[in-house]
Amino acid sequence: MELFLGANIWEMMHGGSTHLPIALMLVSAVFDALGGLIRSERVRDRFHAAGLFTLIAGTLGAFPAVLSGLILARWEIGGQGALFWHHVFLWPAFALLIGLSVWRLIVRGRRTRAGFLVYLLAAFLAAFLVSAAGFWGGEIVLGGS
Amino acid sequence: MKRGFFGLEFIAALLAVVVASAVVGGALGAANLVRAGIEKARTEVAAGSPARLSEIAAHGQKLFAVNCSHCHADDATGDEGPDLHGLTKSDERIKGIITNGIKGEMPSFAKKLQEADKEALVSFLRSLR
Repeated sequence: MELFLGANIWEMMHGGSTHLPIALMLVSAVFDALGGLIRSERVRDRFHAAGLFTLIAGTLGAFPAVLSGLILARWEIGGQGALFWHHVFLWPAFALLIGLSVWRLIVRGRRTRAGFLVYLLAAFLAAFLVSAAGFWGGEIVLGGS
Repeated sequence: MKRGFFGLEFIAALLAVVVASAVVGGALGAANLVRAGIEKARTEVAAGSPARLSEIAAHGQKLFAVNCSHCHADDATGDEGPDLHGLTKSDERIKGIITNGIKGEMPSFAKKLQEADKEALVSFLRSLR
């Protein structure tokens, strides 16, 4: 019971889950970008499928990361210093992850070239935002040490 | 890939914005609600914090000086009455003694002191070390 009531379980959950959206969003954007460059339709589709699956996995991983983060921050959605900057990048990144996942799940392979380029830009923006949120998260834990 | 952006992709984009806004907005709103609840609970706890208790104890000290110090001495170390430092009796027992007195030893303060006064006296006595 101590494990569930104390901060440790949330620290463990945050530390464990927060790397999923960071790593998988980056990989997803790269897979989709590579898929856009490859001529072979079969290989291209596989890259896009990998991009979709990593995006969904990263988005699903963001939920426990956000929940545990909120608990650790005592439900503070803004804050000061490193926590403030963590949140500045985190909330738009979280919104983008969800939005991109919804868009991909609806559109699937029926996307246009223009739509794909807009998606790719948004995916790299999400990768940047989630990485920046991760950087400031690291500053909260390790900053000043 | 097909040509043209509007159509399915546009509807999907609208849905994506709606879902993302709902989820993130819901998370932010829920966090604010929980935080407000925590702040309210903290405020209520602070009402009974040492600062508040010391205010009550200070009132009790004034009551003690007027009503009790004749027998228990100004510093409550005892004179005719006993030393009141480090009392081990319960709050209710102390209030009972103040209310009823002790036959042949201590008068009753039932008519002179209200319940809040007795609680203030107990707070003051508990503050004695």
